[in-house]
Amino acid sequence: MPQIEIVTLTKAYMIGKDTIKALDSISLKINKGEFLSIVGHSGSGKTTFLSIIGGILMPTSGKVVFDGTDIYSLNQEKLSEYRSKKVGFIFQFASLLPVLTAKENLLLPSVFSQKNMGNNEKKVSEYLDMVGLGDKLDAYPSQLSGGQQRRVAIARAFINDPEVILADEPTGDLDEETETEIMGLFKKMHEEKGATFLLVTHSSDLARHARRHLRMHNGKLLEI
Amino acid sequence: MPSSFLFYIMKELNLFTLSLKNLKRKGFRTGILIFSIALTVSILVFGLSFILSVNSSIKRASDRLGADLIVVPVGARDYAEEVLLETKVKSFYMDKGIVDRVKKIEGIETVTYQTYLSTIQGACCDIPEAMVIVFNQDTDFIVKPWLKKAISRKLEKGEVIVGHESLLNIGLGLMDIDANIFGIRFKIIGALEKTGTGLDNALFMSDENIEDILKKGTSNLKPMDISVIFTKVRKGYDPYQVGRNIEGEIIEVDVVSRSDIGKDIIHTLKDIKQIFSMAIVLALLLSAFLSWAIFSAIANERSREVGIMRAIGAKESHIITLFFTEVFIIGTIGSLAGIGVGIYLFIFLSKGFSIIKNISTNITLTGEIAIALVAFIVGTIICILGAISPIYRLKKIEPLIAIKEG
Ligand SMILES: Nc1ncnc2c1ncn2[C@@H]1O[C@H](COP(=O)(O)OP(=O)(O)OP(=O)(O)O)[C@@H](O)[C@H]1O
Ligand SMILES: [Mg+2]
Repeated sequence: MPQIEIVTLTKAYMIGKDTIKALDSISLKINKGEFLSIVGHSGSGKTTFLSIIGGILMPTSGKVVFDGTDIYSLNQEKLSEYRSKKVGFIFQFASLLPVLTAKENLLLPSVFSQKNMGNNEKKVSEYLDMVGLGDKLDAYPSQLSGGQQRRVAIARAFINDPEVILADEPTGDLDEETETEIMGLFKKMHEEKGATFLLVTHSSDLARHARRHLRMHNGKLLEI
Repeated sequence: MPSSFLFYIMKELNLFTLSLKNLKRKGFRTGILIFSIALTVSILVFGLSFILSVNSSIKRASDRLGADLIVVPVGARDYAEEVLLETKVKSFYMDKGIVDRVKKIEGIETVTYQTYLSTIQGACCDIPEAMVIVFNQDTDFIVKPWLKKAISRKLEKGEVIVGHESLLNIGLGLMDIDANIFGIRFKIIGALEKTGTGLDNALFMSDENIEDILKKGTSNLKPMDISVIFTKVRKGYDPYQVGRNIEGEIIEVDVVSRSDIGKDIIHTLKDIKQIFSMAIVLALLLSAFLSWAIFSAIANERSREVGIMRAIGAKESHIITLFFTEVFIIGTIGSLAGIGVGIYLFIFLSKGFSIIKNISTNITLTGEIAIALVAFIVGTIICILGAISPIYRLKKIEPLIAIKEG
């Protein structure tokens, strides 16, 4: 049984009276531990696709079946648990809470998953170290550069040991060297923890590490 | 150990500490809402304390007055109430012969009378201005219960016993001393317990002293003057009817029945109550509106953050808890501050209100705690009520849309 099965997934947005089909009956099977890359033009539907898999955007029709359960048939509580425990999301947009320090931003997911915070303190510094921010524990997002904020968000996505990592252009604002470091981290997580990766990227260097390559085009997903 | 535990809790990141961080971020706005809640609650506390204390002292006065009917000179009805309920010094007189005429009215069981004199410092007496109540010890049933508790014997000629409050006025160290009253040396032999009525401010002496006082001519009293007649009504008779009969037969008097005591004040109080109620309702509405406006602004500002929190696993209940914790902190601080200010206002500002100044006000501790509790609950609820709809709007947010909108 595939870990994730996407069945004729469609998402239509309404802009005024017009409907825009951002996703057009996409079907896809993903096995546990696979590493997929997705490329595609701006506006082709990549973020929409990842968001629906991550449980943060209702599809218009179709299903996302995770471990045998259609996640959009779950109630909000169970769906929140899915986001909290199964998925690590790296957003295309800035996504840190401004009132919290880097360390606290990393602790936040465990507040919602009700994991023991005490144990996480060590893990938090470890993960911030891994993204090269071991010295920024107490810095607020406003005191970090865009790339540093992005790296905190990456560390946050990993902190709950998710089974699936959804990364939406995670190295968009990082230099080549840092990008290589982050890629090293992804590989490590992939190999050590066996997490499944869906990686949206324009960097061919990053995409190289993937086993399956997909292209999004006008809401359709093509295997390449 | 407990303090280090508390420190740990406060340092730890949880929904409570997160809400504190959020409140601190917009300190001024948080402050405005706290201030508004505090203001509302203080008005509530002050109003309730005021009404409760006036109500209870009127009730106490009529409960503790052992008479069913009070007979006063015609037109002196209000004066009598002022003497009994408030601390006013008043003198009004009628002829002692009326006592026997009242006694003959059908339904009257017992009758006693008192004469009211006022001392004015310097002129006649060496004590501050106070009411002197001269009573007839043979027939008395008004002062007797209090006297019994205080000295368990009758007052001798030349002896004075003081009310609880006038004891404080004259000075605590002055027990067992002599005082010059109406040119006569009296011995102050003790003080009555607190009655919670106007009697607390009076000095009491028996009418065996009247002759001497008249002889000295230091008061405006004339022979055969008395001020009030207290009566008890026989079982089976309607006090109102008996009172009407007295007024019918003796045109020189007015009759106040026990249940009518304080009626005018209660009437005035009703108006005051209405004004207070209106002010309180208005303040509550304004606070609820302010809470709504502020939390609507907060909801708009932070919808992106809510989107992020939802996206990384927050349940609706987490969002609700987080925001209601903020509301609750504001409501709690505001209410507590308001309770403090309200009680302070009542104690210190009330001295400027003649109606409270003259009525002996003493709210019991339980009464004050009950008021504080009510005020606390109302203050917090009003804050919550205003915030409910913005918060519930937040909880329904679709994560991705909210994150992108920011
Ligand atoms: N909330 C929305 N309302 C209406 N239309 C939307 C909304 N979000 C996205 N769209 C439209 O859906 C299409 C797909 O958007 P999406 O964000 O998935 O693209 P993308 O592939 O992630 O683009 P990019 O590479 O620029 O991030 C676009 O045409 C966009 O205009
Ligand atoms: Mg995108």
